Amino acid sequence: MYKSTFFSLALIVPFAAACGASFAPPTQRLADAQSAERSASELGANSVPAAQLSLKLAQDQIAQAQKAITDGDNVRADSLLIRAKADAELAIAQAREKGAKIEVDKAASDSAAQKATNVGQGATK
Amino acid sequence: MKTLRNIGLLVAVSSAFGIIGCASGIPPQDLVTARASYEHASKGPAQELDPADVHAAREQLDVAEAAFVKDGDTQATRDQAYVAARKAELAEVRARTMQANQTKEGVVGAMHADERKAVALTAAELSQTKTQLATQGVVLQAQAATLATEKARREDAEKRAAQAAADLAKFATVKQETRGMVITLSGSVLFASAKSDLLPAAQMKLNDVANALTKEDPNSKMVVEGHTDSQGAASYNQDLSQHRAQAVRDYLVTRGIASDRITAQGFGSSRSIADNTSPEGRANNRRVEIVVQPSSKP
Repeated sequence: MYKSTFFSLALIVPFAAACGASFAPPTQRLADAQSAERSASELGANSVPAAQLSLKLAQDQIAQAQKAITDGDNVRADSLLIRAKADAELAIAQAREKGAKIEVDKAASDSAAQKATNVGQGATK
Repeated sequence: MKTLRNIGLLVAVSSAFGIIGCASGIPPQDLVTARASYEHASKGPAQELDPADVHAAREQLDVAEAAFVKDGDTQATRDQAYVAARKAELAEVRARTMQANQTKEGVVGAMHADERKAVALTAAELSQTKTQLATQGVVLQAQAATLATEKARREDAEKRAAQAAADLAKFATVKQETRGMVITLSGSVLFASAKSDLLPAAQMKLNDVANALTKEDPNSKMVVEGHTDSQGAASYNQDLSQHRAQAVRDYLVTRGIASDRITAQGFGSSRSIADNTSPEGRANNRRVEIVVQPSSKP
């Protein structure tokens, strides 16, 4: 009897650890994902088509994660937030890429204007 | 024997299930995409420009692959693969951003180099212009000095002329006419009646005239004109006036007037300046005029 009880406990304890000790709400991951999403918005991701798509994915997944947390599915919420953060970070990089390309265009245009000015002033030979 | 065969079959079946369970057959679309994304990133410029992010993508892909091997096509495997694909794309986007920044730096660098070149060229031209201006300044100063010298010389000449005129005015009539300065000396002061030899007193007067004339512009020409009254024969008067003019001219040459500056001419009574019917008028007509012509040179 004693032996049987011990065996039962040995079986039950690991299950209790997996299911009973429930997964805590992923508040830190939620904060990280939201922070990245805000940064992407502030960097103008909505005005860059590729970045806009990534940002939209991040926002949708953050919303889904919040709903999952409400429903008590913290494991699913955690996964969604990891995905959302990856999308938001991609959106940030895509917005920065657009910014860098705009700067290249501006530099090229400045350079052309300067060349024209120099030629006009006879400062180049 | 039968038992052993059964055990062998069981092992084979279990193994087969085990393999299927671990390899899980067809990989999920997310993993396929992640593999392709990583492949693309690792073979593009990101490998060189942003190796840290490419490495992070590789590690995430490994996690996804391990999850697939271990658990098969689960949501967790898909999630890991999804993140791996994003990380591979992130590496590529960041690499392109770096390339753009490098391009910009290149353009801006070239622009600044052009600017420096233009500034250097402008500075060189400015320096050259300054040198030219300095040279022009020196030339202008020299011209100003020359002008000042010339002005001083003119002022001096004018002063001397004024002095000469003032000196002459003491014993002779001096008038400015269009033909030049006319110094009129009375005939009776210079000559005895009907003579063309200078009186001793006349020489004194002519010394003063000569002194005054030497103060005149050294380039001016002079004509000594002899005039008589209308008494007597015209030809006689003509000769007399010519001789008298010549006598005055010769004397002035002995007093230092350059002989090529001075000539003599007799006019007889042809150029009377006063009434020949009165003694005073005739006395005024008997005269010698020295005409100092303005210098033809400026």
